Amino acid sequence: MIESIGLTKHFKALTAVHDLSFSVGDGEIFGLLGPNGAGKTTSVRMLAGLIGPSEGTARINGLELGRDSQRIRAITGVLTETPGLHDKLTARQNLGYYGRLYGLRGANLRRAVDRYLDVVGLPDAGDRRVAGFSKGMRQKVAIARALLHEPDVVYLDEPTSALDPSAAKMVRDFVATLRDAGRSIVVCTHNLDEAERLCDRIGIMRGTLLLVDTPARLRRQGRSASVRVDLVGARRPGSFLDMLAELPFVEAVRAAEGSLLVEVRDPRGDNPELVAALVNAGARIVSVTEEVATLEQVYLDLIGEAGTRDARTVEAA
Amino acid sequence: MRPGMIAAVLGKEVRDLFANRLLLGAVVFPALVFAAIPTGIVAFIEVNELDPDQLGQIQQYISQFPDLSPKLAAQGFIVLNFMAYFLLIPAMVPMAIATQSVIGEKTARSLEPQLATPLEVSELLIGKALSAAAPAILATWAVYLLYGVMNGAIADPVLTRLIFNDVWTVAMLTLVPLICLLSVLLGIIVSSRVTDARTAQQIGGFVVLPVIGIAVAGFFSGQASFSMQQVLIGDLVVALLVGISLAVGNWIFDREAILTRLT
Repeated sequence: MIESIGLTKHFKALTAVHDLSFSVGDGEIFGLLGPNGAGKTTSVRMLAGLIGPSEGTARINGLELGRDSQRIRAITGVLTETPGLHDKLTARQNLGYYGRLYGLRGANLRRAVDRYLDVVGLPDAGDRRVAGFSKGMRQKVAIARALLHEPDVVYLDEPTSALDPSAAKMVRDFVATLRDAGRSIVVCTHNLDEAERLCDRIGIMRGTLLLVDTPARLRRQGRSASVRVDLVGARRPGSFLDMLAELPFVEAVRAAEGSLLVEVRDPRGDNPELVAALVNAGARIVSVTEEVATLEQVYLDLIGEAGTRDARTVEAA
Repeated sequence: MRPGMIAAVLGKEVRDLFANRLLLGAVVFPALVFAAIPTGIVAFIEVNELDPDQLGQIQQYISQFPDLSPKLAAQGFIVLNFMAYFLLIPAMVPMAIATQSVIGEKTARSLEPQLATPLEVSELLIGKALSAAAPAILATWAVYLLYGVMNGAIADPVLTRLIFNDVWTVAMLTLVPLICLLSVLLGIIVSSRVTDARTAQQIGGFVVLPVIGIAVAGFFSGQASFSMQQVLIGDLVVALLVGISLAVGNWIFDREAILTRLT
């Protein structure tokens, strides 16, 4: 369980993270989405006990940041932005070193190294120096390193970057098994598709959290639903525009080739009324489809707004 | 401070060092060169008779060994006089290893994953310092032993006894490890401020200049060897510098500084 309470980090005059508050439950994957410089890495570094916050605090499985930072690091696995491996060592030696730092010894250490080399699909490459590894193989070793000690809390910074689609799917599937095992997981990513597929909740961040919700709710956030009604028959879609504009729940309407695009507030409640009105007016309906905004649209709107707000603040200052 | 953590860092660093043949060569080669030059001179004197003119020129030096024959006294002066250069091994070698180690970690961005573990910065630093100092100390001791035995074998066992005298035994056991430690700490401090190993070693070269100065001054002073008092004063001064460097290193290398500035 991760509880971030007003975490703030200043670097001299620069505020990298401001008032970051959120929680991640056991068995939950939380995505931190944001542009470069949004404070994602600084947030993870604070939460993982690597750097101290300027203000605020966090509790990780009941352990207090600062006072218990060493114990927090012992139960935490971090996949850093770059793999940061020791090139002159083999994959097995790299993992062995980190296993020892996490307190694993002897047979337990060997078992853990073998298991995770297997999990990331490198069982036969363990005795090769990582200097000769591809980017994807290096990323896999770094993932194994982050999980070797079976951490309760896992931070993954761009976990599938540099991986080919099948390896990326393998990692996503494995992260899902970690969730099923009750771990609390934070994924930092630019990859909206990955965030949507992997995360139970997503926080869109730019210095602070702008919005936190499930991917499905985020897509709806603050928007009317757009409903597409496909028509057949002699009457052109444009002939229904005036009638539809009169309906109280219709926020906007326009005609396209063979269809109408209608924006309503609550598709579940409004769609039956919409269909009834069209049928009464003589429309012959083939299908009604709700067109949901993509996460990308929501993200770009939010980041764009925050960016504009930042620019205005700078201008005013 | 947990020994297990320091041992883990030490083990990793030693593996790294043995995988880096060039760096390993940098540990062994200077030590052998510093020993080979005077040994070569001793061998040359052994097979060539000194003419009276030459003996006259070095009279002031060989008079420091009244109990020895002029030839053996000349050899004794050479073996002892060159020994100051043994202090250069602990001054130069650990610096090269330490700078390579820290800058290598900066380049590979491997400091952050290590600091994300329960490892404390002090444990990381001590592990690194030991792994850089130990090879230099062992190399110096090994070459010292070899030097004593070889020169005794080439010329006369008296040279072995001269080399393994009390002053140099104390210097090997105290001054050499202290200079190593100072060199490592300075290497780490310099590495934290620059981005490539070559620059770090160049700056580090200036830092070891005082040690080189002592060696060269010893060579030209006409004094065959340091006195016990000089060695103990040297111990004290270097220990003080180690203390200052440790404080500066700890300040520079706090976890946050490493993560926000060095990675």
